[in-house]
This record gives sequence, C-alpha cells and structure tokens, in this order.
Amino acid sequence: MKLPVIVLAGALSFAATSALPQGAAPNDAQIAHIVVTANQVDIDAGKLAESKASNKDVKAFGKQMVTDHSGVNQQAVALATKLKVKPEDNPTSQSLKAGGADNVQKLKALSGAAFDKAYVDHEVAYHQQVLDAIDKVLIPSAKNEELKGLIVKVRPAFVAHLEHAKMMQSALKG
Amino acid sequence: MHSTIARRGALRIAALALAPGFAGALVAVAVPAADAVGKAAAHITHTVVIDGTKFEPATLEVRRGDAVVWVNRDPFPHTATAAGAFDSGSIAANRSWRMTARTAGRFDYLCTFHPNMKATLVVR
Repeated sequence: MKLPVIVLAGALSFAATSALPQGAAPNDAQIAHIVVTANQVDIDAGKLAESKASNKDVKAFGKQMVTDHSGVNQQAVALATKLKVKPEDNPTSQSLKAGGADNVQKLKALSGAAFDKAYVDHEVAYHQQVLDAIDKVLIPSAKNEELKGLIVKVRPAFVAHLEHAKMMQSALKG
Repeated sequence: MHSTIARRGALRIAALALAPGFAGALVAVAVPAADAVGKAAAHITHTVVIDGTKFEPATLEVRRGDAVVWVNRDPFPHTATAAGAFDSGSIAANRSWRMTARTAGRFDYLCTFHPNMKATLVVR
C-alpha cells in the first residue's frame, strides 16, 4: 500500500514543481500563503533532521531551520493579521506543500549518512527554489509595501541558509 | 580597616541600586576598578544593528574601553563571533548583547548561524 502513495506524491510534486514559475501573478493574500507555506515546509524537514541526523552540524542546521523559519512565520502571520490579509491557498503553495511532504516521506525511509546527505542536498535545492520564487514571483508581484518589505528583509537569510547548506554539502562529500 | 568597611558599604548600595539587572551591577562595580577615575567618562557606547541578516555598520571603529551593543532586529537569532576573541552566543530576536572592548586589534567576526554574514570590529 505504501508504494502507490510515494509514486502519487512524487508525480504530484513533479507536476506542481514544474508549474511553479508559470501561471498568473499571485495576489497579496496568495503571496502571504506562499511565504507561510514555504517556511512551514522547511520547518517540517528541519524537525526531522533535528531528531534523525547523525552528523552534529547537520542536526544543528536542522534545529536552526526550525528556529529561523518559525521566526519568519511569526512575523509573516503578525503582518497578515495587521494588514487584515487572509492568506489564500493557491497552486504554488500546494506544490510547495506536496514537494515538502514527498521529501519528508523519502527522508523518513533513510538513516545515518544517507539521511544526512539527502537532507542537505534537498536543503540546497529547496532554498535555491524558494529564492527563485522570491526573486521572480513574490517580490515583483507583492503590492503591499510592508509585505514586499518583509520578503526583502528575510531574503538574505535564505541566501545564508543556501550558502551554509552548500558548505555542509561539500563537507559531507569530503 | 575603616576605609575597607566604608567601601564595602558603598559597593552594597551600588549593587542594591542596580538590583534589577545583576549583570549591570557587575559592570558598574567593575568600571571604577578597571579604569582610573575620570577616564571612564570618555568611554562611549556604539551600536551595531543586525537587520536583514546583515551587520550595520559592516566595519566599526572604537576606542579601548568603549562598549559595543549588538541589537538584533531580525525575527530569528544571530551571533557576533570572532574566533578566539569574543562570542556573543545566540542573540535572540529583538534582544541585544553588550561587550566592552578591552583589547586593541582588528577583529573579523561572523554569525555562526549564517556564516556568510561578516563584519569587522577595530579597537584602537
């Protein structure tokens, strides 16, 4: 029974990921939803790494992802509440969520060095993917200045996470 | 003997006055001991703002004895860490960390959580 679920999740994720840069520009309610979802996906993976990673740097990185992305989400939710914007589900959020669930499912089947490598590889790819979305979709589409400002402010943290994950990626190879 | 007792009394009063911030009491008591009287007034406090995963200013020049406060305005923790020289440990969101610059030199520091976040403290 397990296999079809994985295949289905994988298929959804593939279809959804390839659809990410296309489609109509999201509105602010959708952008708020994308921001929260993108952070939540990385929090979920980080929680898993915090408990399952064997390398101490990978474990610490997982813990940091939970802390950093939770912090960003608290601020995003506070801003949405202040602006009276109700985050609205949308295809990009759905694809991020499906991709995240697929990743967690794959990671759960791994352990030891294989887990560490798969988690770090995905963190590199994921932060790159989110940065692309920030630069190509979220910042250009955001209408509200405060919402745009929040994304601009947290963008460098995503860059830092990407660089940090890349450093671990090469360290794990060596 | 008499002067020792009087001094102890003064210290106790200083500690009581600053009771809400225990660390503050330690610093306040330590200053007159570390510096000659009259010199302490020349020392100033500098601020480094941490915002958008960046230290601002990226390079700060201070004089020995000056204090530096790192204020974290990001919604997640950072550190100000110069290997072998100083380490703030985790500075939580909307918190700060204060250090008195006692050693002259040029200190390149970074955030251990976000290692591409770099800055320099120069102590003259």
